[in-house]
Amino acid sequence: MKILLVKIALLIFLSPVAMWAKDYNASLFGIKSDGITLNTKSIQKAIDFIHEKGGGKLDFSVGRYLTGTIRLKTNVQIELKEGAVLVGTTSIHDYVAVDGKRALIVAEGQEHIGVFGKGVIEGQGTGLFEALNRQIQKGYLSESPAQASPAFIAMSHCKDIRIEGLHLQNACGDALHFSQSQGIQLKGLAIKNTAMPSLNGLVFAGCVEVVLQQLFIESSGTDFSTDAACKTFTLEACKTAAGKLLVFGK
Amino acid sequence: MKYLLSVLSLTVWLGFQVRADDYKASMFGIKSNGTTLNTNSIQKAIDFIHEKGGGRLVFYVGRYLTGTIQLKSNVTIHLEEGATLVGSTNIYDYNLSVRFPALITAYSADHIAITGKGVIDGQGRELANNVTDQVQKGILKDALVNDRSALWRPKGIYLRECKQVELSGIVVKNAAEWVVVCDQVQQLKIDKITVDSKAFWNNDGIDIVDCKDVIISNSYIDSSDDAICFKSHDATKMCENVEVRNCVARSSANGIKFGTLTSGGYKNFKIINNKIFDTYRSAITIATPDGGLVENIFVDSLFAYNTGNAIYLRIGARWNKGRVGSMNHITIQNMYCEIAEGKADAGREYEGPVEDLPRNISPASIVGLPGQYITDVTLRHIEIVYPGKTNPNYAYRGITPAELDSIPEMPAAYPEYSQFKELPAWGFYMRHAKNVNLDHVILRTKEKDYRPAVVLDDVQGARFTAMTLAEPGKKKKQVHVYKSTDISLPK
Repeated sequence: MKILLVKIALLIFLSPVAMWAKDYNASLFGIKSDGITLNTKSIQKAIDFIHEKGGGKLDFSVGRYLTGTIRLKTNVQIELKEGAVLVGTTSIHDYVAVDGKRALIVAEGQEHIGVFGKGVIEGQGTGLFEALNRQIQKGYLSESPAQASPAFIAMSHCKDIRIEGLHLQNACGDALHFSQSQGIQLKGLAIKNTAMPSLNGLVFAGCVEVVLQQLFIESSGTDFSTDAACKTFTLEACKTAAGKLLVFGK
Repeated sequence: MKYLLSVLSLTVWLGFQVRADDYKASMFGIKSNGTTLNTNSIQKAIDFIHEKGGGRLVFYVGRYLTGTIQLKSNVTIHLEEGATLVGSTNIYDYNLSVRFPALITAYSADHIAITGKGVIDGQGRELANNVTDQVQKGILKDALVNDRSALWRPKGIYLRECKQVELSGIVVKNAAEWVVVCDQVQQLKIDKITVDSKAFWNNDGIDIVDCKDVIISNSYIDSSDDAICFKSHDATKMCENVEVRNCVARSSANGIKFGTLTSGGYKNFKIINNKIFDTYRSAITIATPDGGLVENIFVDSLFAYNTGNAIYLRIGARWNKGRVGSMNHITIQNMYCEIAEGKADAGREYEGPVEDLPRNISPASIVGLPGQYITDVTLRHIEIVYPGKTNPNYAYRGITPAELDSIPEMPAAYPEYSQFKELPAWGFYMRHAKNVNLDHVILRTKEKDYRPAVVLDDVQGARFTAMTLAEPGKKKKQVHVYKSTDISLPK
């Protein structure tokens, strides 16, 4: 009975969000699919606009979308349709960090956010790593290469995150990085993170209510790691390149 | 003697006709400054020359901005070295009252040509972006499928129902869509042209649609969609007697492609001594998804380096409206192909989109439909080199009956080598094929692959002679035969 009530309450709470949610095509915001136009600002404008309108989904159709760091905001979802490739730029100064972690997609203190679809996120890790090393050598970056290397996605202090269906390949740093977040669902992702040595796959710190389903993780470092504060993880059919199943707490 | 004299005089007269007068562009007030919109003055020049019985409109060094112009019978546009015809970036400078808007058009014109060492630049990226903008403002109507305009993006050159057409020497680039299109043209000669088609999405290089008596030679094509592409839009027509010789092509889709729209079909093709490189999909794809007939295709000396796939032959049933597609008498000989380990077109503008994942390296494939066999295929002296390094934990398709049957038929899908996602062979996959001859075929993988080299599923009649299947590591069974009859395997 109590569960039923919770469900009803949840339904009432969620339904207005569902009603407001609207789909927006990337081109509406001048986002270009040519693979050479840097779209950081126009994608950010789209996210901010959708967030201010109460939420919705930003759709990327087949094509290549070059970008630096974009910040996801509450109630905004990104869908990468089949053939859509979000391409990380190779200039390190186009990336920003949350919680000390640079990434292509970041979120901090946001709720009900997601990135999903049959599309691809391409990190151009090798090129980006060379570029950031040159910047470190010249003294324009004070961090170590490992600290500076951007992940695909880094989220901190977020709630209700859904990442599903995507192919993530060639990050410069760890693939996915979550800290102090609650309610994370990762499903059907194929992560190939071997552009350089010692790149990790999934990194969790202080996260609770995490569901991982049907993941494939190939990394050159640690495929999956959690810290002592991580709780309530559910894993289902998640395997490494060698065919091993991921297990929580190991 | 009298007869001979009249023939001679006719020849002289004809010769004179061909060497008709030259008209300088400046005579018609056409400006070479790159900013004056010359559409009307260029059209006036063409109409004038046409009415005078023909001749060449000659453009000297300079930039000539224009919207849609229409070529007329007996008129040649000659672009001297350094002359560039520049397409306007305003969509309303193009004739939008036709099915296929384009920068240079001709309809039912005979004996026309575009020659010289000059350039035709469509400025397609800016133009396409402006089109999208007009659609989003509600001025132009378009469904924006895939978030792009499909109806209004102008092609580069579109010639329809013309005879005796010549394109030679010129550089054609950056249309907002297909760059060079000949539709129901007869006696077409394309020689020594350069096509650079990476300005936008769906940018084919050269499209030959339902044309007869065609020769494409000594040309270079670099395109974001299919490079040298044959199509058939009309079920009552087909592409016939076509020769492609000594061309070099690069594509973020297929190098040489038959399709997609294949209503009537393709007959009597010779594709000889061509090179394909850095191409994301297949070196050659022959597909009939829409009920067309494909017959007598002869490919000799095709060299492909760094391509995603070697050969894809496919019968589908997409927009066939009850007609049954067929494919017979395909010969491919003296072919060498190196398959890319990574993305073959990486770093190019308008790079091809990654699709059909998860998937390891795909084999060359011949895939018909149940009861619709691809028939009489000869592959002779062919070598395909694969990178291997495949991971069954990432994508897997085994060779048990259940696993082979799990490969979908996908009759209505867009025909592309990757459409079935993971296939159960590393070198060659054949399904629904009849009378296949593989003579001196070498399939080689540089590193191990978890799959066998060849899988035959519903192949009725196959002869393998002098075949080499090479994979490092332990010897394993490299040919798997399923639901097939009359198969003679290599010894």
